[in-house]
Amino acid sequence: MRWIAAVVVTAALGLFGSAQAQEAESLFQEAVQATQVADYEAALTKFEAALQADPNNLRYGNEYRLTGVKINQVKTYDRCIAFFKQLVADHPKAPNAWMNLGYAYVDKIPTEGAITQVLLANTALGHFSTALDLEESWLGRYTRGNSYLYWPAIFGRTRWAIADLEKAVALSQETDKRNYQARAYRGLGEAYWRLNDLEKARQIWREALELFPDDKELPVLLGQDDKALNAFLTAHFEPGKRVDTNVSALWEDTASQAWLGQDDKVPPAPAPIQVETGRHVDTTEGEISGKAN
Amino acid sequence: MNVTTCEKALRWGAHGLVVVGLVAVLLGNWPPVSAAAEQAGESWFEEVADRAGIRHQHASRSFKNAYADIMKGYTALGAAVAVGDYNGDGFEDFFATTSEDHGKNLLYRNNGDFTFTETGEAAGVANGNDESNASADAMWFDYNNDGRLDLLVIRFGHSQLFENMGDGTFKEVSTQAGLNQQYLNSIVAIAFDYDRDGYLDILFGNYFQPVNLFNPSTPHFFPESFETANNGGGVTLYHNNGDGTFTDMTDKAGLRFSGWVLDLGHADADHDGDDDLYVAVDFGQDRFFVNNGDGTFTDMTEKAIGVDTKKGMNADWGDFNNDGLFDVYVTNITDEYMREGNFLWKNNGDLTFTDVARETGTYDTGWGWAGKFFDYDNDGWLDLYVVNGWVSAGEENYVVDIFQLITSPNVDLSDARNWPPMGNKTLSGYQEKWLFHNQEGTLFTNEAARHGLNSKLDGRGIAVADFDNDGRLDLLVSNANARPLLYRNIQPTGNHWVQFSLKGTRSNPLAVEARLWVTAGGQTQVGFVNGGNGFASQSMLRVHFGLGKATQIERLEVAWPSGVRQTFTNLQPDRMYVVVEGQSEILPFQPTAPKEEAAKLH
Repeated sequence: MRWIAAVVVTAALGLFGSAQAQEAESLFQEAVQATQVADYEAALTKFEAALQADPNNLRYGNEYRLTGVKINQVKTYDRCIAFFKQLVADHPKAPNAWMNLGYAYVDKIPTEGAITQVLLANTALGHFSTALDLEESWLGRYTRGNSYLYWPAIFGRTRWAIADLEKAVALSQETDKRNYQARAYRGLGEAYWRLNDLEKARQIWREALELFPDDKELPVLLGQDDKALNAFLTAHFEPGKRVDTNVSALWEDTASQAWLGQDDKVPPAPAPIQVETGRHVDTTEGEISGKAN
Repeated sequence: MNVTTCEKALRWGAHGLVVVGLVAVLLGNWPPVSAAAEQAGESWFEEVADRAGIRHQHASRSFKNAYADIMKGYTALGAAVAVGDYNGDGFEDFFATTSEDHGKNLLYRNNGDFTFTETGEAAGVANGNDESNASADAMWFDYNNDGRLDLLVIRFGHSQLFENMGDGTFKEVSTQAGLNQQYLNSIVAIAFDYDRDGYLDILFGNYFQPVNLFNPSTPHFFPESFETANNGGGVTLYHNNGDGTFTDMTDKAGLRFSGWVLDLGHADADHDGDDDLYVAVDFGQDRFFVNNGDGTFTDMTEKAIGVDTKKGMNADWGDFNNDGLFDVYVTNITDEYMREGNFLWKNNGDLTFTDVARETGTYDTGWGWAGKFFDYDNDGWLDLYVVNGWVSAGEENYVVDIFQLITSPNVDLSDARNWPPMGNKTLSGYQEKWLFHNQEGTLFTNEAARHGLNSKLDGRGIAVADFDNDGRLDLLVSNANARPLLYRNIQPTGNHWVQFSLKGTRSNPLAVEARLWVTAGGQTQVGFVNGGNGFASQSMLRVHFGLGKATQIERLEVAWPSGVRQTFTNLQPDRMYVVVEGQSEILPFQPTAPKEEAAKLH
């Protein structure tokens, strides 16, 4: 997975552990603590400072956006979008900044009318594509493929979803198995549902269940008859519902079933990060790369 | 407020019994209620338009200008039906519009036996379409308080007011009335007495801004936004001066705004004695105006309904949950590509509303148009019928083109030239209609397929009327570029009902705005006389109540627009009554024998 490798390279180049990285992490921890005491204004400012110091940090961006979702005000969504737009303008080669910008647009969707929702979703797709142009990744492929699934089949984007999700599956097969990888299989089956090929969809889900027997979503999909499944997935892909853009599963416990994909519920805040005095605990992408490789 | 109370029950005399007998004979003639329909699960409606002699076909206007190909996709409108007993024979007649150049509008006289005779040309009301005007809607009201229904034909261009001469003919009085002094792209109108001076005023809803669509001077007449457009036609309020003329009072009344209005609905939201307004607006914010009681309105939109970016198509008021407050049903666009959802605005009683469309199951009716409250099974709870569908055409789907436009950066949407021509493509077409049965005010279930009301034509208007005076509400549906549908209600529930025809003396003669509370079997319902609420259609002015199994009407209270209140007790159900403002005796409703009426007119 090249995107993970890039993080490793970045770390190897000296950012990890550098003064700048330490400063970024320190700001991030302060932001997290501010969030915990509901001082959201201070938290957002600290998150922004952390991201300015480490613009390609997916985790910082994730927590920043999720704090915005927790506040759930249009002006906060606009603030997040504006911040990431400036961040990618300043750091156009940072794929994770582009990913976070795309997610920021997705986060705003529930606050807008149906047409603006389309514009936001379409803009987000463009930013996910830019991230992928910069760097191939499971996350990029999964995210963009999953985003295409929200478009009715009439728009012809389901085939693009299949291409992205098949690539995500292929990328996951090149690495150690992680629970979150089941999501690409689920999405791939959902793409065939979009095309009214329920047989193919169920075949993919059954194969995925063999690979991920502990997955909790796959049995739900497989346990429904055609009518119930259609109702379930139609509701699941209802435009305008809040899509859970929390990608923390990438660096949290790999045995967990944290869900990257869609849910109309606001995701729970990530578990507080324990910091021992005098000891730097890195839970950013660098740690992921270490586990993944 | 001058309030008088008269309490006296009608004792039906011999004449009333004869009338009831006549109605029963008429009912027994044609068509008989089939034995199958008596069975639970069978259809309770029959589509009888052809048998009833209603065979015209609506056609949209094809414009002949530089933007004609583009406009074609956005003007599949103008199929309207307005019900009114214009000849006073006790049977509801109706007027229907078409929109094609020089297409003839139609006046259908009810023969009393569930057949109709078209008399538009003879009556002088057929010529509603020419190279400079296109018919969009129609409305019956009494503009000169002579007790006869006059006709307003609402048009893109200049609307037409026809005075009912009382002999089956009409005389156009638009110019004398001062109604054609300004070009308006009006698509809807309602009549109500906003200042309670005893004369019905006209509120026009205008879709496009007042650019002459037949020869536009600018290409910038399309909506500037899909969600916040403010370059539409707004509303125009014509105050009835009481001398046969009208004066534009839009600004003075505080109703000036520039939304893309598609429908208007009036009702007394707070029971303060004057009617408030819900305005359904395409491409953005619906509006709610509170009547201040002094000839002005206050825009209370933000407090009442909050922010809305949807495509409001319809505004009908009715008390769906029998809590004594009038609620509002608004249709929007709900399809797989855009999930706006309808509004069922539950009236909170404090001039605010809560949308309960999702929890009541009335959220998704496709690309909605008219949606009308009515109690089709007379169980005492208002049901809903909703028609839908924009353009049903070829296999190709226009939504791809329109989304290409939407997602293109920096496009000036107000410029018609930027919009893709629709050609023969379909957009939200072939949609089944919805008949929502009210489950005691908490949930609605779709019964359209069971009752054969699930046509896939591109529906526009719904007129609810009791065409055969049998106490069962029938439906007349207008469809764009198709024939209308007439559904005769043959439901066999045996539930009881009552209807009231109100005649104002101090109030406007049609008693528009009058509120009625009927208590039967311990349950109280509220209704009102409405002056044309709902998209592209007008229902009968008579007020109908389903009474369920109640065999006695304990109480009727009428609040007239003048402020007069009257109460009657111990009325018999399954009858039609006439209530005259200020008269202590309630009268039987007396339809004229159809043959006698026909002979009189010809």
